[in-house]
Amino acid sequence: MTQPCTRQEMMAIATGREIRDGELAIFGVGLSMLAGFFAQAHHAPGVRSMTEGGVYGATPVGGLPWGIECNRISANATSFTSALDALGCLVASGRCDVGIIGAAQVDRFGNVNTTGIWDGPIGETYRPPKTRLAGAGGANDIACGAKRTVIMAAHERKRFAERVDYISSPGYLEGGDARSRHGFVGGGPSAIVTTLGILRPDPETKEFLLDGWYAFSGVEEIRANTGWDLKVAPGAGPIPEPTESELAALRRVDETGALRKG
Amino acid sequence: MAPSKLIPLAEAVRRFTWDGMQYASGAALPIGSDAVAFGRELLRQGRRDLHAVFHCNSQQLNLLAAVGAVTRAECGFSGLEVFGFANGLRRAVESGRLALDDYSNLAMPLRLLGGALNWPFVPATVNVGSDIQDRSAFAPGEHPARAKIPTVTDPFTGRPVGVFSPLKPDIAAIHVTLADPQGNAIMLGTEWSRYELSRAAKRVVLIADAIVDTACMRQFPNLVRIPDIVVEAVVHWPFAAWPQSSPGMYDVDEEHMRLMNKALATEEGTAQYRRDFVDSYDDLDGYLALIGAERRAALAATQTAFLLDPYRRWILPAEDVAALQAAGETA
Repeated sequence: MTQPCTRQEMMAIATGREIRDGELAIFGVGLSMLAGFFAQAHHAPGVRSMTEGGVYGATPVGGLPWGIECNRISANATSFTSALDALGCLVASGRCDVGIIGAAQVDRFGNVNTTGIWDGPIGETYRPPKTRLAGAGGANDIACGAKRTVIMAAHERKRFAERVDYISSPGYLEGGDARSRHGFVGGGPSAIVTTLGILRPDPETKEFLLDGWYAFSGVEEIRANTGWDLKVAPGAGPIPEPTESELAALRRVDETGALRKG
Repeated sequence: MAPSKLIPLAEAVRRFTWDGMQYASGAALPIGSDAVAFGRELLRQGRRDLHAVFHCNSQQLNLLAAVGAVTRAECGFSGLEVFGFANGLRRAVESGRLALDDYSNLAMPLRLLGGALNWPFVPATVNVGSDIQDRSAFAPGEHPARAKIPTVTDPFTGRPVGVFSPLKPDIAAIHVTLADPQGNAIMLGTEWSRYELSRAAKRVVLIADAIVDTACMRQFPNLVRIPDIVVEAVVHWPFAAWPQSSPGMYDVDEEHMRLMNKALATEEGTAQYRRDFVDSYDDLDGYLALIGAERRAALAATQTAFLLDPYRRWILPAEDVAALQAAGETA
């Protein structure tokens, strides 16, 4: 019997569904890469994928790559270039359709923190964090430049904060048209896909609202795991369960079972 | 023929590094091509108070930070990708003994490009509007930070625009797959920002997995992204990126990546790691023995090995490299 779909797998499938065939897409390391290559293997065979390392035309071999330059993604590339090329010429230019990024913390306006946990406001003096994380990497560049971004995060109350401790990658900042102050070429996050459901921004206020839940989750569980008063969007509803072909495609990409451990 | 620039690793560190310098490496990604062996040698020679310019953290910066050899660092990314957070760097930052100024993975090559072109500043279309712009570990009392990514007026549109400061590190230790004895280099895999770094740094030392005859460069001149004219010295050091990977040459050593990062999570573990994997070998043969013949063979059986095929015929045998190195040492 097929092993049931894990929450991480559901998140990856729901994220992959956000990718459309033919798009120019950039995938970060880890789960977002699995979600992206799942989309390519399932419903978006014509997606033009790249990593921020400037590895083009490649599909992972032997399981989840250890990094975006890992030999598992360097074994069948059609072009190797550079960070300046991938994140600059192809993302900061405004050409990239969609990017998938992760988040240690995300807030009601889709701002992402991957830099550190201070346990509250940093204050006027930039003191060392209680827990130092991995920094912005290419996510800031994708958040500024890609036409839209999809944020992936495990849905836990401590991660879904009223305000992130540090904005590593801008979402809609304070909401409304705050992004326009900075002249970003990219449009901002179109969805936060989590282990419990999907949040999407209100078209005017840019506050993220609950848009859908999975068969195994529901409005109350999601609200209880969100650190702000999460509103439910008009038209919100259950998200279709993974089809057999979706799950089979994801598991072909996730050969080493990274998403089945959690 | 131009004289060889091949010198031993220890000699390169003696000749080109000093305490307090701005040291750049890691113009590679965290698990890939980085001159990790150069960082081990920096520690063997007791270098300290380094200002590290690493586009991305790697196990090299993780180790240097864990030991306390770095007091300032500038990075676009400070983790170890799927291997998790970099415990040595993380400890140093959390304790306050290392000031880490954050940028992004596009900001760092833009700043290196600015240094390479001798630009006064580089326009910033990214990093603005976030805490990367507003917070500086080098000026922790300023909020928002004034000198990190200041705002100027675009003279063409009149709109405000952020600007990055250019980078010109004192020295760059750059890992490459193949170099000839004069310092022409071919990198297999993404070059990440090694091109920009090779032009931005005041001095460049190449650390190559293999040395090839210059005829190889004449066959593939389009692929020589680092030419000898910007290179001071060449070090031959197989498995120089270990435990990280070098496309075409060897895979990432998953077991050692984990062992190393776990060790660097504590002072005791770091001291033990230093004894076992930094101070424990006398020369290249000792280093290679430390990795072990069996493990080297397993890592070299990479799915990317075919990438090296066009160049194999020009790889110089060890005795030729040794002879050239002996000549370089006395030069």
